[in-house]
Amino acid sequence: MISRLRALWNNLFRRKQLDTDLDEELRAYVELVSAERMQAGMDPEEAHRDALRELGGLQQVIEGVRDVRAGVWVERLALDIRYGVRTLAKNRAFTLIALATLALGIGANTAMFSLLDQVVLRLLPVSHPEQLVIVRETGNHYGNSYGANTVSWPMFEDLRDNNQVFSGMFCRFPATVTLGYGDRAAQIPAELVSGSYFPILGVGAALGRTIAPDDDAVPDSKPVVVLSYSFWRSYFDGDRTIVGRTIALNGHAMTVIGVAQPGFDGVDLGVPAKVFVPIMMKTEMTPHSDGLKDRRRRLSWVTTYGRLKPGVSREQAQLSLQPLLHGILEFEVRQPEFTRSATPADRPLFLRNRVEIVPGSENGLSEYMRRPLWLLVALTGTVLLLACANLANLLLARATARERELAVRLAIGAGRARISRQLLLESLLLAGAGAILGLALAFLADRILVHMYLPADAAAEFVVSPIPDGRVLAFTLGVMLLTSLVFGLLPALRGSRTEITLSLKDRSGAASAGGISLRRMLVGVQVALSLILLVGAGLFVRTLRNLEDLGPGFPTDRLLTFKIDPSLNGYSDEETKSFYERLNVNLQTMPGVTSVGFSTMGLLKGYGWQNAVLGKDFEGAPIEEQPVLTEVGPDYFATLGIPIIAGRDFTVQDDAPARYKYAVVNETFARKYFPARNPIGQRFGLVDDREPVTPDIEVIGVIPDRKYRDLRESAPAQAYFPYFEGPHFRFMTIYLRTQGDPRQIEDGLRERMRQFDPHVPVVGLQTMNEQIGFSLRTERLVASLSAVFGGLATLLAVIGLYGVMAYTVTRRTREMGIRIALGALRSDVLAMVMREVFLLVGAGLVAGCSLALALANLVRSQLFGLNPRDPLTLIGSALALALAAGVAGLIPAMRASCVDPTTALRHE
Amino acid sequence: MPAPQTDLLQGTLDLLILKALALQELHGMGVSRRIAQITGGAFVVKAGSLFPALHRMEQAGWLTSSWGESETDRRAKFYALTKAGKKQLHTESEWWERVSLAMATALRTT
Repeated sequence: MISRLRALWNNLFRRKQLDTDLDEELRAYVELVSAERMQAGMDPEEAHRDALRELGGLQQVIEGVRDVRAGVWVERLALDIRYGVRTLAKNRAFTLIALATLALGIGANTAMFSLLDQVVLRLLPVSHPEQLVIVRETGNHYGNSYGANTVSWPMFEDLRDNNQVFSGMFCRFPATVTLGYGDRAAQIPAELVSGSYFPILGVGAALGRTIAPDDDAVPDSKPVVVLSYSFWRSYFDGDRTIVGRTIALNGHAMTVIGVAQPGFDGVDLGVPAKVFVPIMMKTEMTPHSDGLKDRRRRLSWVTTYGRLKPGVSREQAQLSLQPLLHGILEFEVRQPEFTRSATPADRPLFLRNRVEIVPGSENGLSEYMRRPLWLLVALTGTVLLLACANLANLLLARATARERELAVRLAIGAGRARISRQLLLESLLLAGAGAILGLALAFLADRILVHMYLPADAAAEFVVSPIPDGRVLAFTLGVMLLTSLVFGLLPALRGSRTEITLSLKDRSGAASAGGISLRRMLVGVQVALSLILLVGAGLFVRTLRNLEDLGPGFPTDRLLTFKIDPSLNGYSDEETKSFYERLNVNLQTMPGVTSVGFSTMGLLKGYGWQNAVLGKDFEGAPIEEQPVLTEVGPDYFATLGIPIIAGRDFTVQDDAPARYKYAVVNETFARKYFPARNPIGQRFGLVDDREPVTPDIEVIGVIPDRKYRDLRESAPAQAYFPYFEGPHFRFMTIYLRTQGDPRQIEDGLRERMRQFDPHVPVVGLQTMNEQIGFSLRTERLVASLSAVFGGLATLLAVIGLYGVMAYTVTRRTREMGIRIALGALRSDVLAMVMREVFLLVGAGLVAGCSLALALANLVRSQLFGLNPRDPLTLIGSALALALAAGVAGLIPAMRASCVDPTTALRHE
Repeated sequence: MPAPQTDLLQGTLDLLILKALALQELHGMGVSRRIAQITGGAFVVKAGSLFPALHRMEQAGWLTSSWGESETDRRAKFYALTKAGKKQLHTESEWWERVSLAMATALRTT
């Protein structure tokens, strides 16, 4: 072993010495043999010649010895690599295009796959995450709901105590709380968790302890809090003495009992939790609702998780839980809450609700991003295919161009294996360099994508890391290897089959005839794939344009917005109400502000407050879609620039504590609930499952239809109530119409708010245009990436086409010359070449069109305001591609038609 | 009967070199002549096979080399068996004897 290592060391680093020694050794051999011959009677000269003959060629012996040296392959490889790098460097255009192609294919795929993997596919960082599931109810929901994945507290208890499929269950509720520590205040996402949360997840503490079942036994009894590791590091500077200290959450003193293990930020990847609090502290953490003491069975608010017993599948669990749910629903329809909030017609619908078991990693972000991300992965997959086709084409072209060089090498004795190895090595060199470039590109791209996708404050600590994990690396390497095999082996096989004499004799010979049809096919494939990408780009860009052009229906320039919640500072309803009244006056007098509007539910945030309504006119009708509701201040409509088209706006005199008395509704609301009647003066009521309701809210005004939750929806039925009416005062979204550029008063506003009340943090201060821009980030991401991919794809296809046509024309120079000499017009030659171009492109376009039409349904849900088979987009893309291809084909065609027959015929 | 043109079997050359060096250290040509001598001229090892084999075996740690004076007063590289080389000679000889015995038995069977 040691002797081998020493030999390897000597061979690699003391080659010169070894070669001199070998030389001397062999010289001695020759001398000894000739001395022997001379002893036998030969004359010295003859003896020397004879000795050399016996040696059998000095160089061969030296080569023979070198071949057995340990590490000889390293030496050979270094030689091959040096040669490969030199040839690649010599062919700069080829190398650049090939590297760009590879970097694009590998980089785009790694970036998208990384994102998909981390956002959609990745499981939670807990023990046995695959066993973890969310239990939810699908179907019509009556009563109040905090989201699709939630159930009520009593239902959680029923499921927890009566199921046979879980080894344990826990629940959680995400809340926003105001943290006070020292003289700092911040609004942070908190996770309210049941006592079984940490034990069942198998998440431990990095410091102190986590929340135990004991901490969560009696409501309001244990004011304790666990910090997330990253928040502990960032906000408390990793202070180890924090355990046992007290921090304020919503003005309540809470004892820090520990720090959770690193890497764990709660079960919702989209909203990393900063602190964990026992769910029994709900009343303190969410002052606007009674929390656990509210036993209404249709108030869905907790996300419920179960850990499947070993061997139980999701389907089995679903089947086993369905009778349990049915029993619960049967019980619920008999409760007065249900009778109050739903009509008899709703009952059979409700009883058909089903249990659904979804993976525990499911969350709002992954649900929101799943379709666009898969779409982008499909797009980048197409780009990769195209990149492969382009590379194969490039390498085939290069192999053809190198036939002579290879033939020369074969002729002077290089083995075919050696040449194949050389070609393969060059492909690997290219692919390796491309992969490194691609990974760098992916790293950059993912950082940008994460920032595009998430609000600035979340992006800073979002757990999606731009560093690809092992699986992503394996994926990239697989792609790289496959690519290098596809495009490296083809030319290698062809290269080593080259007939020496043929290639040396005839430069335009038939030796490469097989390659050109393959290359034509590859160009056709490229054209087809480019068309698909171009059509996709066209559809997505037009979708974005449609959404942007349409807008929310009110002027969004010079509009500033932020959120605030003084109730999270422990302010009472009275204090909060007074806070808002004073704030309203304060902001109205701010220089540069022309108007101030208050609304409890912000616009275009992707969600809204919905509640069923009742009235004499529509009694007994089943509840299909509940209208969207909000409470607003007096100048709200004026501030947003929404006109009152009938009746009047609210005034401060409309104040009537504890109950809504007046409402402004939109046209859809009026049409839906008061058809063919003047809506002004009509009355309706808000369904409340706690008590019977009489319809006594009077409609005093009507506004035109405007979007509410997002830009994609058609305006839902909306009703507005004056916020002064109460009874509870919580969060508020505030809109400021400004005189000039709203961004110029942002800093002044922040300072003014700090002076107004330093303990109440301002959240999400931004212009309306920024907010709308952010709400369209998915559409913008898909549109911009597909446009970039489409453009690059077309460029690659056009380069490929140009290469093939240029090669064809060069090969047929003599033929063209003869044709022209025999009297063919130059335009005939031009037409002949262009016919071939259009045949090639046409075939690709036809294939691409059929594919695009077949795939149309996959993107339907991502589009807005146009059909996935939109003829304009399809024809436009095909025309653009044909035009680009035509130009690329025209250059070699022109060259062909300009052939001088005498030169062409002398050429060979 | 002339000696048949014997191609050295794979592995045979190594054994012959080891055997040739068993008594004393030799330079390249010495090894070649010694092999011819001990095989009664049946095997003539050419330089093209001999030197690669010597270098390979040296790297494997069976042989060690040193520069010394040849019969012609010239600097020449002498090879000698190492401990590992002696062990190798022993194992290979045993193996070879078993094989040749088996072959002989097989050929004698009618």
